[in-house]
Amino acid sequence: MAIQIILLCGLVIFSALAILLKDLIKAALSLAVASLLLGIIFFRLAAPYAAVFEISVVAGLITVLFILTIALTKKGDEVTEARLVKLAFPVFLILFLIIDGLVMKSLLQKIPALPSGPEAGTFGEVLWKQRTFDLVAQVGVILAGVLAVLALFRKKEEDKDE
Amino acid sequence: MVFSFIVIPLLVAAFLPLVGKFSKKLLPDVLTNAALAFLVFNSILLVKPIFNQGVIVQNLNWLGERVNLQVALDGFNLFMLFTISLVSLCISLFSIDYLEHYGHKSTFYALFLVMIAGMNGLVLVPDLFSVYLFLEVAAVASYALVAFGLGYDELEASFKYLMLSVVASAFALLSITVIFGMTGSLNFQAVAQGLQDLQARLVLGVCVAFFIMGFGLKAALVPFHAWLPDAHPSAPAPISAMLSGLLIKVSGIYALFRIIYSVIGLTPALSQLLMALGTISMVVAALLALGQKDIKRMLAYSSISQVGYIVLGLALGTPLGIAGALFHLFNHAVAKGLLFLNSGSIQHITGTRNLEELGGLGKMVPVTAGTNLVGALSIAGVPPLAGFWSKLIIIMALIQAKEFGYALVAILASILTLWYYLLIQRKAFFGRVAEKWSQVREAPFWMSAANVVLALVCILVGIFFTPIFKTWISPAAEALARGIQQVLMWGL
Repeated sequence: MAIQIILLCGLVIFSALAILLKDLIKAALSLAVASLLLGIIFFRLAAPYAAVFEISVVAGLITVLFILTIALTKKGDEVTEARLVKLAFPVFLILFLIIDGLVMKSLLQKIPALPSGPEAGTFGEVLWKQRTFDLVAQVGVILAGVLAVLALFRKKEEDKDE
Repeated sequence: MVFSFIVIPLLVAAFLPLVGKFSKKLLPDVLTNAALAFLVFNSILLVKPIFNQGVIVQNLNWLGERVNLQVALDGFNLFMLFTISLVSLCISLFSIDYLEHYGHKSTFYALFLVMIAGMNGLVLVPDLFSVYLFLEVAAVASYALVAFGLGYDELEASFKYLMLSVVASAFALLSITVIFGMTGSLNFQAVAQGLQDLQARLVLGVCVAFFIMGFGLKAALVPFHAWLPDAHPSAPAPISAMLSGLLIKVSGIYALFRIIYSVIGLTPALSQLLMALGTISMVVAALLALGQKDIKRMLAYSSISQVGYIVLGLALGTPLGIAGALFHLFNHAVAKGLLFLNSGSIQHITGTRNLEELGGLGKMVPVTAGTNLVGALSIAGVPPLAGFWSKLIIIMALIQAKEFGYALVAILASILTLWYYLLIQRKAFFGRVAEKWSQVREAPFWMSAANVVLALVCILVGIFFTPIFKTWISPAAEALARGIQQVLMWGL
């Protein structure tokens, strides 16, 4: 239980850091650590497939995409964030934690327990035979992400010489 | 083949950046338009089998072994697929000339096709988690497309859109997670059966509230609409047309009502809540549209208002209400697509979208002015155009269900709609030609052609209303109504 609480606290802290840190590389790495912790929590809750996806896609692939994108940008003008935005996130986070604590605890007691049991079949079976459509959609999400990087970090000057 | 609606756009999108290395304009134009024309053709070919069989279930085989890729096509999804394919084809035709000054056509088209694949996937999958995943495919592509111009406004609007859209997705995902926790399943039918066995009304109520918040944000229903009037006008015109014409309907209305009709069931309380939300959207957004000076911003508010009509009809839940709402969904997709493309033409011609600066353009650019008039009158519900019939059916359905108050508000909102569309006509196209517009010329060929095709659809659908309603709308409405009956039979 103690390990679970430490992992959950770590998840919240690193998720918050991912938003609050100014240095984008550090923010991307914080997100990767948060995702890794979430993956471990999934493993401990006997959901290995969710854990594998979380660690491979979010901690691995998406972090690579983020760092690639950051590498493509260069230090430019100083961007000052509005004060309201700086305040909004911590306020929202605290509010969310309070609501989560109050509502979800009482709500979860009312949710009938899922007939428990280990996830059926091997990882391969689940991936290829039960959730195949998700793979197609994941390919779509990754493709959209890569294309978005290509579109948003294109050199504007190149547009003109067509 | 049904899978082609997802696979073809994704495959073409994957190859386009490579194709763009060899041919910057011609091949991306041809490939994208050919792929979309094929999808339109494919959806027309599927009408007959759906009309005869009702539902087509297809499984994918890979090297002789059955892969668990199953899609179930009924009248409702086919109707949505046809709407998406037809409007997308016109938008991509318009983009041939419009994108000349943006450059990087191959990347634009690739993102555009990924967005279409996401929407088609969302329409075809019978599984809650897959709905969420395809929702994200379409959403990720749309964030990049809104920001495609890379100007300050575009980037700001895209960021705002991203932030609110992520909140919407989070609500939908939270609800899906709780439902999975309760029923141990994600398939629509199995979840509906599981929920009926459980009788967990309180938790289900919370899930429905989260779905309404999530998909309501995606559909920009009032009071979840704040992002839309910024995001839609800032995007390039083809993407504004795509977002307002299709995306808010597919990722908001389709997803919400598919889940309500096929999984949760439309209870009288839920019906009243959604009807109230629809009516508030219809009136508030119409009033907000009246005060706008930017054409695209006015059109964006109009989209929120028209989405209100669709929600009102679908939430009513009677066969006539559903049919009217679906018909209005199609008509709005076509006419709003046309009006946003048209606003792109106006901006291309004059360099401005400000109604106060425009005036008398009708004499100088008759094709743009004429097609704008057709689109505006169709949305406002003027006979014999397509929008008139769909609004009439929704109002008739309301009267038939003895919801006289809602019917009256729907008629009044329609008058407001006509008012602000006539304002556009008066300020932009009628009156004396201002000195600075005396030399303007009509928009390039493909831009005008796309406008004309969409305007013709508005006119022809209005004239041939009866056969089109029987062939397309009735099977779609029946498929949805069957979903309600099944869930009602399960006793929810």
